[in-house]
Amino acid sequence: MNDNRRQILDMLAQGKINAAEAEGLIAALERQSGATLAPGVKAKYLRVLVDTDDPLDGPTKVNVRVPMQLLRAGVRLTGVIPTRARDQVNEALRKEGIPFDINELTPDNLEELVEELRDLSVDVDNEKAKVRVFCE
Amino acid sequence: MKAEILPPLSASVHVKPAGWRFGIRLWLPLFLLWLLMIPLFLLFLPFLFVAALIFGVNLLRTVGATLALLAGFRGTRVDVDTPDTKVSVKLH
Repeated sequence: MNDNRRQILDMLAQGKINAAEAEGLIAALERQSGATLAPGVKAKYLRVLVDTDDPLDGPTKVNVRVPMQLLRAGVRLTGVIPTRARDQVNEALRKEGIPFDINELTPDNLEELVEELRDLSVDVDNEKAKVRVFCE
Repeated sequence: MKAEILPPLSASVHVKPAGWRFGIRLWLPLFLLWLLMIPLFLLFLPFLFVAALIFGVNLLRTVGATLALLAGFRGTRVDVDTPDTKVSVKLH
């Protein structure tokens, strides 16, 4: 347990903050550190949070939660692409400068990819918009 | 049928335009849509079978992958909050 988390729990124990405030502080702490998931916990959802402040349209918030299962199923669909079409896709990717072979997308590789996404956290912050992508 | 291969059975949509005291809350029974799709699927099955043979696609795997894709949508949630409207869509 890190110092900040212990400090929050101490404040909760001393009655300086209530449980909801403690939860909010811990969540903020996790967001700050980028540690969205505890080790060993499988990511269930991919979250995309967009917070924009357009001068014309006004502030807009978008919150999308996509199950990781959808990602798995999407990749599984590549398995049903006919061999001829796969070769064409690979050729098109090579032409675009992407050296990727979709034949390598196997269930084992996919699990590895999803596992790696567990630690994914992308934060884009500029004057007009804040974008956050992470797994939970 | 295992829960992981069940497509979303219902969807809830909540729309609240700015200035409205209460929003519009809709519950959409998607399972009725899937029930309607079953006879249609059976009707088109021979054509799908022929198309699969022509294009060299494994029909069984394709159906399985499509079902898995539909099932993957369970738990999807989209919330959009603009100054004019708030929209929330959840698939259960």
